[in-house]
Amino acid sequence: MAIGRGGATTAVLAALLLAACGREARDIGPSLGETPPRGGSDPRIPYYQDNVYQVAQGGRYFGWYGCVACHVEGAVGVRDLGDGRWQHGGGFDQVYAAIARRHGALNYAARIPAEPLWQLTAYVRDLPQHTPEKRRRLAIDQVGEPHGRSWSGPVR
Amino acid sequence: MPTAGLLLAGCAGPQSALDPGGDQAHALFSLFGLMLWVSGAIYAVVLAGLGWALWRAWRRRGTDARRDATLVGGVDARLDRTLPVVAGAIVLGLTVLITGSFFADRALFATRAAPALEVRVTGHQWWWRVQYRDRVSDGWIETANELHLPQGVTVRLVLNSADVIHSFWVPNVAGKLDMVPGRTNRLDVTARRPGWYRGQCAEFCGTQHAHMAFAVKVEPPAAFRAWLAAQAAPAAPAEGRGAAAFQATCAACHAIRGAGAAGRAGPDLTHVAARRTLAAGALTMTRGNLQGWIAQPKAIKPGTSMPAIPLTPADADAVATYLATLR
Ligand code: HEC
Ligand code: HEC
Ligand SMILES: [Cu+2]
Repeated sequence: MAIGRGGATTAVLAALLLAACGREARDIGPSLGETPPRGGSDPRIPYYQDNVYQVAQGGRYFGWYGCVACHVEGAVGVRDLGDGRWQHGGGFDQVYAAIARRHGALNYAARIPAEPLWQLTAYVRDLPQHTPEKRRRLAIDQVGEPHGRSWSGPVR
Repeated sequence: MPTAGLLLAGCAGPQSALDPGGDQAHALFSLFGLMLWVSGAIYAVVLAGLGWALWRAWRRRGTDARRDATLVGGVDARLDRTLPVVAGAIVLGLTVLITGSFFADRALFATRAAPALEVRVTGHQWWWRVQYRDRVSDGWIETANELHLPQGVTVRLVLNSADVIHSFWVPNVAGKLDMVPGRTNRLDVTARRPGWYRGQCAEFCGTQHAHMAFAVKVEPPAAFRAWLAAQAAPAAPAEGRGAAAFQATCAACHAIRGAGAAGRAGPDLTHVAARRTLAAGALTMTRGNLQGWIAQPKAIKPGTSMPAIPLTPADADAVATYLATLR
């Protein structure tokens, strides 16, 4: 692409300014997360991590991409993502890398585009901030949503 | 005359409650007609009364009320007699309206005991999952963003939502009914006039609410059965570059029955190219629009949860070509 560094920086800054308008702000412009994060202080991180909409979108993909199959409520050890202990580091770039590269044949780096990976990372890193009850409520809010290959409908 | 013609031109069409093509829409249209005439008559009576009062006051300007022969003890006897009659007529008109609306409501929502066909429609941000009950297997035949109805048959629509409140509305066929998460609403519809209609989400549900539409086709029962049989059939086993690329990146969210893709998050694509529109009415179904949608879904429906998948140009082309064969 022929967009110069200046243009990209301006775009990032503008988006950051917009993100500051509110934690719920929804940005419908071109996506920022088209490449993986460059280190733990990539300027795009707050755009995803501090925005409730982006985090919730990650929660939605967490079901859609079938993550819930293994990282269920009550999972223990490394599969428990809500305990605040990160086996492979808790930095944004480290969690991103764990999702993308540590799932063997599931090969999320190739199968999930960058933007959903950003949102998934923001969601997963947001989980330890909440009490188990709150986490359960988040899950209950999404019972009607498809989980990977299964969807039984919103009313059982 | 030309003005009236222009005004009425807006009444017909594929998305109009004033052009009923089914029993329920007809009941609503009749109710609307009753409301229009009764309210119109009341409006005329009230305005006539106002006009008369103005005229009377104007005629009497300057005269002394104490000498006025039509007033007995300061009271107008004629007015005293007519006013209760007019008020009674207005109350009667309103009673007719309430009674009409009561009976129309009961007729509309009287779901029949055994529907000939059950169709489950689920609202998602921002598309429609449509499932037909399969009499043989007792399972569901799934498609999306397009509803086919057999002409003259009463169909039971079972309405749900997977995320937020949506509302199901095909004005030519029936009135709107909300789709509420965690709740099941039922609507019986009997379509009569064959043709294509347009349905639209009628409850604001997010940024792409306006692009949450669907196509509705009412067709003779034989044609409907043929269509449903085609929808139930699986796609041919997938081979080639497009199918492989689809399997790698799209199958997480989309199903193509028979070709090994089983994702449930997005619309079923087994017969996507047989649909009339793409992405819930946002585009017409063409090979070019398919490729455009895959390349930049967020440029067409900003905020949609389908991500842009970075495919090489050759892969994008192959995937679109593959999808266009899914008829
Ligand atoms: C098949 C089961 C399975 C699925 C599906 C799965 N995971 Fe995992 N996940 C694991 C296992 C096992 C590990 C530990 C890997 C390791 O330590 O190398 C892990 C590790 C992780 C970690 C790192 C945890 C830490 O403490 O550092 C994150 C984050 C994560 N997964 C997120 C996800 C997301 C997001 C998805 C969906 C896109 C997902 N996982 C799907 C099994 C799974
Ligand atoms: C993360 C889940 C996800 C992935 C991955 C995904 N899609 Fe989608 N797709 C969706 C959703 C959700 C919709 C409905 C969007 C809307 O209409 O707002 C959709 C809609 C579509 C439609 C329109 C269907 C219709 O009925 O009009 C097509 C075609 C499509 N996707 C093709 C693809 C292709 C090809 C790929 C892979 C390159 C892909 N999708 C990857 C979620 C996904
Ligand atoms: Cu809607």
